[in-house]
Amino acid sequence: MIAAQAATDVGGQLLIVSVLVGAVRSGTSIFYAALGETISERAGVINVGTEGCMLAGAMSAYAVTAETGNPWFGVLGAAAVGGALALLHAYLVIARGANQLANGLVIMFLGLGLTSLFGASYVSREINGFKPYAIPGLSSIPAVGDILFNHDPLTYLSFALGPAVWFLLFRTRWGLLLRGAGERAPVLSSYGYSPERIRYIAVGLGGLLAGIGGAQLSTAVALTWFENMTQGRGFIAVALVIFASWHPLWAMGGAYLFGAALALGPELQVRNVGVNQFVLDALPYVMTLAVLVVLAKRSFQRAPEGLAEVFDAPPVS
Amino acid sequence: MSIATLEPSADRTKQSPSIIEVRGLTKRFGDLVATGDVDFDVRSGEVHSLLGENGAGKSTLMKLLYGVYQPDAGEILVDGVVHRLDSPADARALGIGMVFQDLRLIPAFTVAENIALSLPGGGFRYRRQAVERQILDAGAELGFSVDPKALVRHLSIGERQRVEILKVLMSGARLVILDEPTSVLAPQEVDGLFTAIRSLRAKGLAVVIITHKLHETRAIADRLSILRAGRMVGSGIDPTTVDDRALISAMVGREVPPLPVERSDPPADRPAALRVTGVHVRGDGGNTALHDIHLEVKAGEVMGVAGVAGSGQRELYEAVLGLRPLHTGDIHIAAVEMAKSDPGAALALGAVGIPEDPISDAVVPGLDVTEHLALSNLSSLRKGLGIDWARARELVAELDRQIGLRMVAHDRTVADLSGGNVQRVMLTRAFGVDCTLLVAAYPSRGLDVATTRRTQELLLAQREAGAGVLFISEDLDELMELSDQIAVLHNGHLAGVVTPGEVDRYAIGQLMLGGSE
Amino acid sequence: MTVIDSPPEEITVAPEAPTKGTNDLARRVGSWVVAYLGALAVFGAFMALKGVNPFVAYRDMFDSTLMNSASLSEVLIKAAPFLLAALAVAVPARGGLVNLGGEGQIVMGGIAAAGVALGLEGKVASGLVMVAMLVGAMVAGALWAALAGVLRVGAGINEAISTLLLNYIAIDVLLYLISGPWKDSAGFGQLASKPLADETRLPTFGSDGRIHLGVFIAMAAAVGIWLLLRSTSWGFQLRVAGGNGEAARRAGLPVAKLLLSGLITGGAMAGLAGAIHFAGVEGQLRPGMTFGFGYIGFLASWLAGHHPIRIAGAALLLGAIAVAGDSLQIDAGLPAASVNVLMAFVLFAVLGKKPRLAGASR
Repeated sequence: MIAAQAATDVGGQLLIVSVLVGAVRSGTSIFYAALGETISERAGVINVGTEGCMLAGAMSAYAVTAETGNPWFGVLGAAAVGGALALLHAYLVIARGANQLANGLVIMFLGLGLTSLFGASYVSREINGFKPYAIPGLSSIPAVGDILFNHDPLTYLSFALGPAVWFLLFRTRWGLLLRGAGERAPVLSSYGYSPERIRYIAVGLGGLLAGIGGAQLSTAVALTWFENMTQGRGFIAVALVIFASWHPLWAMGGAYLFGAALALGPELQVRNVGVNQFVLDALPYVMTLAVLVVLAKRSFQRAPEGLAEVFDAPPVS
Repeated sequence: MSIATLEPSADRTKQSPSIIEVRGLTKRFGDLVATGDVDFDVRSGEVHSLLGENGAGKSTLMKLLYGVYQPDAGEILVDGVVHRLDSPADARALGIGMVFQDLRLIPAFTVAENIALSLPGGGFRYRRQAVERQILDAGAELGFSVDPKALVRHLSIGERQRVEILKVLMSGARLVILDEPTSVLAPQEVDGLFTAIRSLRAKGLAVVIITHKLHETRAIADRLSILRAGRMVGSGIDPTTVDDRALISAMVGREVPPLPVERSDPPADRPAALRVTGVHVRGDGGNTALHDIHLEVKAGEVMGVAGVAGSGQRELYEAVLGLRPLHTGDIHIAAVEMAKSDPGAALALGAVGIPEDPISDAVVPGLDVTEHLALSNLSSLRKGLGIDWARARELVAELDRQIGLRMVAHDRTVADLSGGNVQRVMLTRAFGVDCTLLVAAYPSRGLDVATTRRTQELLLAQREAGAGVLFISEDLDELMELSDQIAVLHNGHLAGVVTPGEVDRYAIGQLMLGGSE
Repeated sequence: MTVIDSPPEEITVAPEAPTKGTNDLARRVGSWVVAYLGALAVFGAFMALKGVNPFVAYRDMFDSTLMNSASLSEVLIKAAPFLLAALAVAVPARGGLVNLGGEGQIVMGGIAAAGVALGLEGKVASGLVMVAMLVGAMVAGALWAALAGVLRVGAGINEAISTLLLNYIAIDVLLYLISGPWKDSAGFGQLASKPLADETRLPTFGSDGRIHLGVFIAMAAAVGIWLLLRSTSWGFQLRVAGGNGEAARRAGLPVAKLLLSGLITGGAMAGLAGAIHFAGVEGQLRPGMTFGFGYIGFLASWLAGHHPIRIAGAALLLGAIAVAGDSLQIDAGLPAASVNVLMAFVLFAVLGKKPRLAGASR
């Protein structure tokens, strides 16, 4: 019944347009997380716990929104909690010498545990989340208007954030320092800077953005909360950073590509194309693997040197 | 001539004030006295050469001056005032700059980005164009040509060195310390560096150059000081007042045993241990790293390989040992063609390598000395599914006696050893194998004089035993002493093959830089 | 022969052999106690925030986890797949590989076991079906891991990322099968496969008849892997390849084959985990049946420094925590997944305790 109604709703829209609308809609949360992870990895720290930061962000945003009625407070809460989890990762990795991948997984479990502990009471609560805001004029451009200019405010914010992070990384002294910390920390130390401090900031910022990504998912897209609702989006973001060659704008494209793959399944179903839902669900992951295969040689050459321990593939005969 | 006759110089810089002076400087690491009670001074407008063997304490002394280490005793005076240098930042603030041997640049950054990082202050934005202009201006003033937009990873070692010097000067240094700057340069590039150093001197700056090469000291230094085993055995000497023999015995403290003079001439009819025919090889970046190389090393012959750093030596080493695929051409070891590039195939044909960079290419973290040596002999140590470790230990003990390079205790983890001790393990492993072809890349790097001598003897012993030896080195003197012939690489091309007795070092240098003989 | 008069050169900066004091042990035990108490304290604080008395909750958790034989067998049953999943991490780790794909390899093992059962049940002796299930699962897990291995040695794709992605694909394969071709027509709208016949379930032992054969298989596997890594030439070569791949290549070792064989052996262990959980506990495929096993195994392996025997201990600890989570849900009314908070802080305490040493990171 629901499907039939949706079919009439989309009747006038081309498949490609609906998929692109869905791409931006479901790609935005991944984009936030990937952008954050780009900053973190550029400084030489990989945070597989991005999944946990997103989850914590999604739950905090939902809870705060439910309690205050204002989703913007939710976003603030999500940013704070996501950032705090990431700082814990940074502390253990930088100050305590924990293995980055293992510790990231623990962060993921911590996010899962905390959100199930504190989120249980919000599972059936309803909230007054973000609403799409059609930008006057621009949103009436055929196709493009729907794809780009009829979204929630967090999506618009992300449009600005991509170029902003690019500017920060490549056109500011601070960006030089951050990338330097990820390439050769001893060089920075020799100039009297503290690469550790730079890494703390970068990892914290990364978690903060992942948290906002989670907020976008729970308070703007799904408008609901359930246990483990991010379902691997954080892991996807980590993979995305690699195939985006640690470039913020490529990460944006990658996230939307991924969003498109996520959106394709429901759109096909709506159009009564008989494909098993789970086959379509696997598509984004297969696609990511395929892209990694195609870009393998190039992207691994560009990995920040500081990540070498995690990414260096010894040559194989 | 004895050390006592090394008198402080009375040269023209006598009147200039000391920019830096140290008194009684002592630094210990555990029981080891790296520098003991050292007195030393540098004046503005002079080039001061600091001589000494590897491990004599030269780098430690310079790191004390640069604030990397803090002394256990003694004091440092800058412009006549006692200062505590708690960090390099303190040293830089006083106008002391250092160019390290392992250049402190980020390869993934451009020249401008690297220099922008090093400049103090500068606000929030990275003003690319402004920094690029500053670099061009500073370069022009010193006669350096540097492209600020170039990625450092694309620059040659010599170019990187110039960037490093520029970087130090642009952050306001009045005293520039250069740590073995010539070890990676061709003779003509050294001339370029010295021209630059002279122009620094002309501007009234002070330069300290760390080296162990006497002819360079003579070419550039106004005064020299000599460290041996952490002690200053001669300070502030006028180079014109001492001869080389006195300097060498001051550095070494004993006579260096001479190499055996009589060597059998390689008979012309010996078979080729290595034949390289029309080989092209791609570098890491996909560029052509070796162009159409034809080379033959006979059994019982030492073929030296000379070239500016990065001229294709590494690629030649790897191609010959089956570590790097050939683009075209073929390689025969002991008259058998290596069917495909496979290190196992090269080993099976009797080719053994001494790697350029053992830490990254040969040392396995967590494995001890015995395990490292067993690695080259696994098939004969097999016992069922396992390995006969008891026999491995016996064999290694026997080998250590035979080779005589005095490795550390055989149960020590190699990854924890110093560079010199790692190299002893690598050399013992390589010389312990009966081979038809020995490919040695910089075998004496990081070794003291006596061990270097022993290594050279072992190389020649392999030659006497009938192996072909391909001997890659950056030290022209060593090459000319040991090689029957020297192949000179320039930019991936074989620029020529010369016989040491027939040409001088400048002729080889000319080939290294792409000139004709 | 010339005698060299110089002594072996000593390092100039740091003493070469880190000295180990004898009172180190006391300090280490002490720091472990502090670490575990700290983890309990943090989780207790969180529970208190949710209005649950942590002392009561901990007593309930302890009582219902370790104080009766039924729950002790439950701990063993939970720990068995964790142990195998951890071995799936430990073997490739010797080769310097990061296998984050235990989750997917377990799922593929479960799928293979179910497929074998669907095909053979009733046609051959049940003992044979069981053996075929276990072998089939090992092959499936190994193949799933080999996929990542081939991507690594063939295209240089980092195996941590590819195994992670393959997890999601494996789960989608499972969901596809139980929602389509293998859907149990007798199920009540629940996605699941046809249940195993009683006689093809793994035999059980013990007073309460709950401990199944898989527990013993897991223990035997730990000992077997330990011997394989410790005493064989293969184990040594794998260690060399993992310590420094370039050094291994230059010594003529078949690095690609070694890495692949390490991943395949690991994958087989994970596949086995899927099979014993399917044939020993679940009896049918259902969504989320092995949720988190692979990741918990990953952490167990890290907890134990990738040492097969110590891994058994780590798996028991994490098994106990998981059982405690169930009691948390029953006694304190908190979601079972909350216990992940406790697990996380235990792991932080252990992961964050190792001093950073060169070469010690793997």
